Amino acid sequence: MAELGLSGIRKGFGDTLILKGVDLHVADGQLVVLVGPSGCGKSTLLRTIAGLELPDQGTIRIAGKDLTKAPPKDRDIGMVFQSYALYPHLTVRDNLAFGLNLRKTDPSIVAKRIDEVAKMLGLGHLLDRFPRQLSGGQRQRVAMGRAIARRPSIFLFDEPLSNLDAALRAEVRVEIKRLHAELAATMVYVTHDQVEAMTLADKLVVLNGGLVEQEGTPLEVYERPKTKFVAGFLGSPAMNFLEGEVEGGRVRGEGFDLPARARTSGKVSVGIRPHDVYLAPEGGLTLDVEVVEAMGFETYAHGKLGGVKFVARLEGDHRPKPGERLRLDVAARHLHLFGPDGARLAVEDVASEGPADGPAEKKLQATEVS
Amino acid sequence: MSARVAFLAACLAALAPAHVFAQETTPETVQLWHAYGDGSAEERALREVVRDFERANPNVRVELLANAFGAYASKLESAIPTGRGPDVFIDAHERLASYLERRIVVPLEGADVDGLEPSHVAALRSGDRLYGLPLSAKCAALYLNDALFDGDVPDLETVLEASYPNDVRPLVFEAENAYYVASFVHAFGGRLLDDEGHYAFVGPEAERAVSFIADAVKRGQVPEETSGELVMRLFGSGRAAAAISGPWLAPDLPSDLSWRVVPLPSLRAAGAPLRPYATIEAAFLAAESDAPDQARALARYLVSPEAAAKRARIGRQVVSTTAAWDDPELANDAFLATFRDASRDAVPMPTHPNMRVVFEPAMRALRRVLRGGAAVPDALEGGARVFDDLTRAMPAPRDPTFALVGLGLALLFVVFTWVRRLRDPNERLALRASIPAYKWLVHAFLAVGLLVVLPLVVGAGTSFFAGRGTDLHYVGLANYADILSARGGELLAPGSFWVVLLVTVLWTVLNLALHVGIGMALALVLHRPNLKLKGLYRVLLILPWAVPSYVTALAWKGLFHRQLGAINAILESLGADPVSWFAQWSTAFAANLATNVWLGFPFMMVVTLGALAGIPKDLYEAADVDGATRWQRFRHVTLPMLRPAIAPAVAMGAVWTFNMFNVVFLVSGGEPEGTTEILVSEAYRWAFTRGSQYGYGAAYAVLIFGILVVTTRLFGRKLTEAPA
Amino acid sequence: MSHHESHERVSVLQSVLSHALLIGAVIFALYPILWVVALAFSAGESPELGPVPVPDQFSMEHVEAVAMRRTDDGTWIFALQLGNSLLISIATALFAVAIATPAAYALSRFTFVGKKLTLGAMLATQMFPGVAAAIPLYLLMDALGLIDTRSGLVLVYATSAVPFAIFQLRSAFDAIPKDLEEAAMVDGATRFGAFRRVVLPTVRPSLAITFLFAFMTAWNEFILAATFLNREENYTLPVVLQRYVGEHAAQWGHFAAGAILVSVPVMALFYWLQRNLVGGLTAGGVKG
Repeated sequence: MAELGLSGIRKGFGDTLILKGVDLHVADGQLVVLVGPSGCGKSTLLRTIAGLELPDQGTIRIAGKDLTKAPPKDRDIGMVFQSYALYPHLTVRDNLAFGLNLRKTDPSIVAKRIDEVAKMLGLGHLLDRFPRQLSGGQRQRVAMGRAIARRPSIFLFDEPLSNLDAALRAEVRVEIKRLHAELAATMVYVTHDQVEAMTLADKLVVLNGGLVEQEGTPLEVYERPKTKFVAGFLGSPAMNFLEGEVEGGRVRGEGFDLPARARTSGKVSVGIRPHDVYLAPEGGLTLDVEVVEAMGFETYAHGKLGGVKFVARLEGDHRPKPGERLRLDVAARHLHLFGPDGARLAVEDVASEGPADGPAEKKLQATEVS
Repeated sequence: MSARVAFLAACLAALAPAHVFAQETTPETVQLWHAYGDGSAEERALREVVRDFERANPNVRVELLANAFGAYASKLESAIPTGRGPDVFIDAHERLASYLERRIVVPLEGADVDGLEPSHVAALRSGDRLYGLPLSAKCAALYLNDALFDGDVPDLETVLEASYPNDVRPLVFEAENAYYVASFVHAFGGRLLDDEGHYAFVGPEAERAVSFIADAVKRGQVPEETSGELVMRLFGSGRAAAAISGPWLAPDLPSDLSWRVVPLPSLRAAGAPLRPYATIEAAFLAAESDAPDQARALARYLVSPEAAAKRARIGRQVVSTTAAWDDPELANDAFLATFRDASRDAVPMPTHPNMRVVFEPAMRALRRVLRGGAAVPDALEGGARVFDDLTRAMPAPRDPTFALVGLGLALLFVVFTWVRRLRDPNERLALRASIPAYKWLVHAFLAVGLLVVLPLVVGAGTSFFAGRGTDLHYVGLANYADILSARGGELLAPGSFWVVLLVTVLWTVLNLALHVGIGMALALVLHRPNLKLKGLYRVLLILPWAVPSYVTALAWKGLFHRQLGAINAILESLGADPVSWFAQWSTAFAANLATNVWLGFPFMMVVTLGALAGIPKDLYEAADVDGATRWQRFRHVTLPMLRPAIAPAVAMGAVWTFNMFNVVFLVSGGEPEGTTEILVSEAYRWAFTRGSQYGYGAAYAVLIFGILVVTTRLFGRKLTEAPA
Repeated sequence: MSHHESHERVSVLQSVLSHALLIGAVIFALYPILWVVALAFSAGESPELGPVPVPDQFSMEHVEAVAMRRTDDGTWIFALQLGNSLLISIATALFAVAIATPAAYALSRFTFVGKKLTLGAMLATQMFPGVAAAIPLYLLMDALGLIDTRSGLVLVYATSAVPFAIFQLRSAFDAIPKDLEEAAMVDGATRFGAFRRVVLPTVRPSLAITFLFAFMTAWNEFILAATFLNREENYTLPVVLQRYVGEHAAQWGHFAAGAILVSVPVMALFYWLQRNLVGGLTAGGVKG
């Protein structure tokens, strides 16, 4: 097991710069999830850690050693590919043993490891099959098993669940969490799936345009998104954004008028998560409902608020009708204000409204400086 | 990295056994080359004689090499100058002049020629030097079937006009072969080539000779389109009363046939005897011999009376050593005596280098008369024009300074651009990043560069030179100018570059269309899900691919044979008239096409089968749901999905077909009159058979290359573009 | 019901038509071959055959004469020459595949300066008629001391087979996901180790086909062989075969027998590799 440190990683292909100077620290035994929209550079970053791409600038340290230029085989990493990349000409057993055999591991040890891994992942009955004879979920488990069997100091996962169906995905997600606990291994996990990001991560890193946009625990990032981008990226359904103006302790715009004692004044984007609104006859938000999705335990009302698309989550027993006009409200501490540059604007009285948010805000400001 | 080295070492080790066999020739070894047929009497005799020589000279070992006749001359010409050739070689005297031009023979200093037929010795002289020792003479004579004709032969007409059973032809000989026709021309006082090497197969004498033969063919006295093989078959099976042929016919005749042979008789129409060409076979001393003394000793031994007697007795040769004939057994041998008499009256074949060029135009002229019914004077004049074309005057040497300066500037420019690129740090970075890739490529670069690209570049370079053999001079672009201007003749005359190009394009397009059409149709049928015997069909249909193309070509040529071919036999059994396949352009072209289609459709079938397997089934299901008809399904699903897989195969196939030498050369051989030649066979003819104008042939090759590069650039992108 | 029946009738008709087409094609494909076979097993120097290729008189004389040919000193020369052909063809195929495989891999996987030029040059070698290269090649082989050696012939054949082999294998490599090698490299293999342990086993069908094509290049070639080889014990079978078609007379029976003896091994190889043939030729082609 080892810690991983990246600093100032830059990488371009031809004239396009993919990574524009990424710093990242993964502590020993930590599971870091890299999220971001496609093209943000998260896969390239992972491949750079693996040594499959060499960075143009920057250093990579694994367990304190500078391995920036080292070939993949000398980095002691295990990787699970999105396509699984199982060797089609080898049986499951030989797939699992491949890395160990390359390192000329004693056959008895190889057999023991395969046994362990097979037990851990429930692959025992599949050992003599070829990859083409396996189902998608089984292949995925073999791919993980192949990485585990070698006992690398760092595990890399490249969107490992994206080819599975929803039910299986949830199952394997839990399994990965269990494995992480069991192996206590350092892991870097790339995904564009929010649920995976939120549930798995010890630390969540949001990448955008080749730069780290924000990092922190999943809840920190979720509750105090540092930028409008992060705010819009995390959460499902996505955060609503309204354009308004701060003036005299209130933020106003078409269809809404809410109290907010921001330090600044002028034009802002107001971010409100669908889950944070509630019905209130006197509320500062007026929503014209267009479509209603009733999920049973909750209901989503899609509509327009001041001409802008807006989604509100309601308790399951509220069933507004299309065409209905709803009055909604939101707690001041759930208001996210972003300046014209997309950066989060601090709201003055947050500390008084909810003590839990206090330290998070401070920490955020700390990372802003760094 | 070390694993990689080991891998390469293993590959090289696999080659090692091949190296072990490379041996050096020891000085005491004398190499003797010949082109006698495999297992022929001549070859057997030569082996015996050589063994006797070795017995008498224990310190000399003779290595005999039997060569394929077709490749013999060019092999001698390429091997001897490099010292890789024989010490002694056996060949016909008429090649002497061109061998002298190439400087691959050396004179026999102070050789003793007593006891050798003086006229044979004379044929081997050039200036006042002797270049070979005569072994034997060969010429044509008249074979007669005793059962069909047993009278005297005062003249040829007697044989032609005698009465025979219905299915028997009076006379058979290769009437389209100038070698045999020459006997008639000589009888009328003409000749094929004059002493200065000018074409002489024109004028009243030649016209009378050709008319005589044409009349005989028209009257059915002589069969049309006769090959050497047909001569043997017709005469051997008693379907021809007489045959004009050389001594080589005898060993092939059935043992139960009763026949005799007489010297060619008189021709009543000419009032003079038919005089065949005589070929003197001789032992030549090769230049660059490692063992000239032993070589001379061997050559001398070959003509010694005892060796000559053996060659006569076993090899049935009309030997040039007079003393051999003292042997009563030989003196009383009617067969040998006849040919000996015949060769005395024969006309030694001219040794001028142009003699090699005469046969092609003369044969074309004869074919036009005998097959196409052209007027004799026109046809002969046409032959003369072809001859002039083939022996085109060498372009005058040019001063190479301009070209050298241009080349120098071009090189300078290349170096300059490279230096500039290397000074650009980005380029340097890219170059450094390329080093791992180069490590994987270096073996292929070296091997292909040295053994494929270098010879091609040098070959392309010779297109700026003219001359025969290795005697070349720089002529600038004159070869290209000559080709593109049809050597000053009409641009659209048969045989001009532009017409041949047109034929080549037609050839390529039709072939590809049929390859793809047939291949795809068969693949679609084979792909049907519940077809029975699928595996068997597939194996049988792939078979043509597995047969070597020269075997295929010769087999198909046989199928299209006028008299013996199966295609005509089928036509006749259906009540249709037999077709002279190689007499007209359309049928000759069709014969080539049939052969090449046969050769090429399995490849396309297999490619299509593979591509079909790659089309997902749900696409068809989607099309079915959309209500597509069978045709629409093919048109809108199958075809677009096949395209990306088939396009590269089609592009490759186009290049191969464009340069498909084997089929054209072996099946139609360019017949009739060179009209079915394609560019690559034309290039070959200029380079190797028409007086070896290597530079001229190379210019053709460069033009072919240019055409292909431009065309593939234009169409290639379109072809390989996947439909969006 | 009647609709169903008519549907069935259509499919019966279709299958009859399919078989008719296939049988027609098989006759077209086999007729010349049967003709050669009939010629080879007929008696006499120059057997005559009608439209139906069946020998009048069955005889093994030609096959025997060709296959059992011995030199005067009793050497079984046919076996020697068959051995030459096999040795040269197998060595050619191995050598061509060994040279082409890494090059094709580099052209599939790496970007490098001069890649386009390399591909263009490889394509160009396919377009330039070999006629123009014959004499320079002879001089070159002579300078290398490789005239009249089997290894020289192997070199020439192998290198001339390399460009096509590279195209063939490159498209096979293109069809393999990069992930496979990367997985191997992460698992501890070098680039070459990944190539050898993972990539090569996966392209085995294409390797087999490339091997077959290179083998055939050498097995069927006679012009260069006839020019380069100066001793009968070094000859390959096609050269020997050519000698049966001589200046004045052709021994068609012998030629046909020889042709069959030459074709049978390749046919066997085709039969053996036919599954690979269908897959191996188009690997990557479907992908484009």
